[in-house]
Amino acid sequence: MIIVTGASRGLGQAITERLIEKGEDVLGLVRSVNDLGIDAIECDVSDYESVKNASRKVKRLKKPVKAFINAAGVASMNLAVTTNESTVQKLIQTNLVGTIYCCQLFAPIMLRQKYGSFINFSTIAVALALKGESVYAASKAGVESFTRTFAREMADFNVRANCIAPGPIRTDLLKGITDTQIEKITSQQVIPKQFQKSDVCDLVELLIDTKAASLSGQVLNVGGV
Amino acid sequence: MNIKQAAEIIISAINDTLGGKADVSEEMKLIGGESLLDSMKLVEVCLILEDSADEHGFEFDWTSEATMSKSRSMFRSVAALAEEFSNQSEA
Repeated sequence: MIIVTGASRGLGQAITERLIEKGEDVLGLVRSVNDLGIDAIECDVSDYESVKNASRKVKRLKKPVKAFINAAGVASMNLAVTTNESTVQKLIQTNLVGTIYCCQLFAPIMLRQKYGSFINFSTIAVALALKGESVYAASKAGVESFTRTFAREMADFNVRANCIAPGPIRTDLLKGITDTQIEKITSQQVIPKQFQKSDVCDLVELLIDTKAASLSGQVLNVGGV
Repeated sequence: MNIKQAAEIIISAINDTLGGKADVSEEMKLIGGESLLDSMKLVEVCLILEDSADEHGFEFDWTSEATMSKSRSMFRSVAALAEEFSNQSEA
């Protein structure tokens, strides 16, 4: 089984659809399971008790967990000085703390199995220090740092953890961003073009595959930096 | 579950983890330089205790603010962990 947080929209939804298409048994962790059309458990990743309850339910399923994909996230394109307090809290709590909660509370399942792969999500905004994304990038820089150290803690148990850091991908998170703004960002990548959700799904497939057994603690910047 | 029963479960878990290669007593330290368990072995012991707690109908929470504290950690000795395990079983 592969678990995907944020499976109801954006990248999480695209990843879920791709994995189901590939014949994987996918379980979504979503805030609302209504009419989702996939196996799912209600879970708010920013709430410790909610994640704990979800991990209890998954444990009771007694199915091996091949991968856990932390795709739930929120974004806010804003200058640090114009970001209000609640947005700062929400970005850190969902993107960083939510990823930490999911990793720590689902890790015991993989530690017991002695295999598995965590895939966390960062952003190319971290490496490029993109203006107007300071708080969002800070939350994701935390995810990168956590992932690198977490990967070392998991390594003795044959459990891997990596980050994918996409550039501007067309999802709800990019609502209101113009093509010119996107081009300004992608022009700073090694491969200066806008990548698609499908490119990210390809990387997810790679990281789950046993062919990626030598990859852990890495940040894969989509498009390169 | 009383403390004596908890200590027996913990000693058995440590023996399993170390492959029976050590003389495990209630005074044995589980963290720090004198411990026979490295951090990964300690995690293995905790996983065994989590399973054992499941069998006994309670949930063992091995997270703590003071995990690495030599004076306050539940892992400072087998006896301290037994007390914590027993307390959690009664909560």
